[in-house]
Amino acid sequence: MRNLYYILIVSIIVGMWGCSQGPTTKADVIIWHWMTDRKPAFNDLAKKYKEETGVSVEFKLFAPSEIYSQKVRAATQAGTLPDIFGVLGEKKDFAIFVKAGHILNLSDEMQANNGEWKDRFFSKALIVNEFKRGNEYNAPPGIYGVPIDVMNIQMLYNKDLFKKAGLDPENPPDDFEEFIAAGIKLKEVGIQGLVSGWAEVWMIDCLASNFAFNLMGERKIMSTYKGEVPYTDPDWIRVFSLFKEMADKDILARGIVSMNNKDAEQNFANQRAAFAFNGSWCVNVYKGMNPDLNYDVMFVPKVDRGNQMLIWGGAGSSFMVNARSENKEKAVEFLKWLTGGPQQAYLAEATNNLPANRESLSQISPILSKFAQSMEYTTHPNIWPVHEKSQVIETFDLGIQSIILGTKTPQQVAQEVRQVKEREMDKERQRTLSRN
Amino acid sequence: MMNKSSLIYRSRRFMGGFGVNLFLLIVTAACIFPLLWMFGSSLKTQTTVFSDMSVIPKELHWENYYHAWTEGNFGTYFLNSVIYTISVVIGIVLVSSLAAYAFSRLQFPGRNFFFYMFLAAMMIPLPGAFVPLYVLMEKIGLRNTPHGYVLCLINVGLSLSIFLLKTFFDKMPKDLEDAARIDGCSKLGIWWNVALPLARPALAVIVIFNSLNVWNEYILALILFDEAKYMPLQVGLSTFHGEFVTQYHLLMSGITITIIPIILVYIFMQKHIVKGLTAGAVVG
Repeated sequence: MRNLYYILIVSIIVGMWGCSQGPTTKADVIIWHWMTDRKPAFNDLAKKYKEETGVSVEFKLFAPSEIYSQKVRAATQAGTLPDIFGVLGEKKDFAIFVKAGHILNLSDEMQANNGEWKDRFFSKALIVNEFKRGNEYNAPPGIYGVPIDVMNIQMLYNKDLFKKAGLDPENPPDDFEEFIAAGIKLKEVGIQGLVSGWAEVWMIDCLASNFAFNLMGERKIMSTYKGEVPYTDPDWIRVFSLFKEMADKDILARGIVSMNNKDAEQNFANQRAAFAFNGSWCVNVYKGMNPDLNYDVMFVPKVDRGNQMLIWGGAGSSFMVNARSENKEKAVEFLKWLTGGPQQAYLAEATNNLPANRESLSQISPILSKFAQSMEYTTHPNIWPVHEKSQVIETFDLGIQSIILGTKTPQQVAQEVRQVKEREMDKERQRTLSRN
Repeated sequence: MMNKSSLIYRSRRFMGGFGVNLFLLIVTAACIFPLLWMFGSSLKTQTTVFSDMSVIPKELHWENYYHAWTEGNFGTYFLNSVIYTISVVIGIVLVSSLAAYAFSRLQFPGRNFFFYMFLAAMMIPLPGAFVPLYVLMEKIGLRNTPHGYVLCLINVGLSLSIFLLKTFFDKMPKDLEDAARIDGCSKLGIWWNVALPLARPALAVIVIFNSLNVWNEYILALILFDEAKYMPLQVGLSTFHGEFVTQYHLLMSGITITIIPIILVYIFMQKHIVKGLTAGAVVG
């Protein structure tokens, strides 16, 4: 029985350890977040805020983001949400929280003092956090989130490789023809053209969407999503053909369709490709991988002069205030302070993310500033009035992969996407009929 | 002089042995290479992880281990993980051996029903139970406490452990128990003095499997705990794994630190594993 005594002793020690952890001193404002790389900067800002106002703020990190999302959902059910938190996922998920009354409507605060708070932000950063009257989710209208940074996805080019190929590093290609010509020149000296993580199909979707906005404009794209314009329309076939042209001219990096974005970033950082299609977060990534990388940002090459090209972007990360929190006033005050110019500049400098406050652009690095200059030309599926069906998007993206691999033609892919679209529309019609 | 058939036999044996050894060497290399790469990367810088493809770099950055330990707050997390692992494994061994012994030897109403319920619990993936578990722990005041976390993990490990031990006890000769009973042993005494010592190989498997599970667990900890001071070691690793940027050199140093204890447990108990997995055949 001596062993049993040992077990009992260990159990008592463990029990005492559990109890000896002591009570936790609760901060005035508690924030849950998932941004590992921003943890030190957030802690510094919380310390500064305490010094300035006497209000204690505690940032609690729960990463990775998938687990964070589960924790937020569980806390919602148990009524233990913190004062400030973030809702990850699509806008329909955000709407569920809003409709359930978990998130404070910040419209009045934003509009106070002639919209002083609202006017600090890039307009596109707020749209993601806003529900307009009559929105498709039936969420009460208002602004429900505070963007703390923004992002967009553009092209990047390696200036040293440009010089090597005899190209002007200060004049990157402006349109698709120039882009193809530059790619061919680079290829002649053995340099790969464009690299991107196109195994992650949303990135293909993103570039295809950029081209589509430029070629046919938002109205025609939305008409396609509504089922009024078929995917076999010449403009859509042209979108598919652009990828075929890049593949035929051999200006895409080897294995691009099976490459995840981390590998693509590594290839660009190690100067194995001259162009990259990547988000503004890459500034931080490239800095870690190759601090000496000599690169710059360029807008996605235009394919048409008719419509404004729109790139994907908007709020990077946003915070929401718990509508049932006892400290919601303090939480709102802290978010106002956090989105102020000096704090946003500090965050941008410490984390290499684009600030949500447009007034702090003069205080950030030139490369981030260049990214930020295109914020007004951003769009995002989350803010579109109509959404394409997921099966159609999947066929569309996989089709482009097939075009790049040379197994399908643009016309074949267009036909396939059209068929899937029609099938999905039929299903929806039948569902509507059976409901009525 | 060797005759022809003997030569053929020997060369066949040599080729057969060579083939098996070559295959085993390839498998070993495939198993060891990721560990070597991890160790090599733990001695590189963030930049050379992506540019220096050699397994062991020319310039060794041992300071990565110090940075990983301090920046990842490994001091606190390491102690937490050791305590969680010990207490959960003790809890699982005690409860599962008692339950398995009862299912195997005692007659009570609903015996099979409860046993199958335990087996059914093995089919439920833990992520599917996160939300109800969170709400339950909150309601009984055990969320955000180490005790609550330990109880959840004991519960997670019970099904498989009970199943393994019951199979073992079922094949244990009843004569041994009869002899113990004649010597004046109570039911609890038989469990402690006869059944448990004989079940040592199965217990070793349970200890190893559950130690691995608890040591590598971090998802439930992130869901249940709000305070960093309660988090286990694996959470420390997430410090180096950002949304877009991963500090690979520190992450690899951290992983190297975290796998050392579990490798030690495995080395000390490996001789019992095969024995335990084929437990029924050797009992008694």
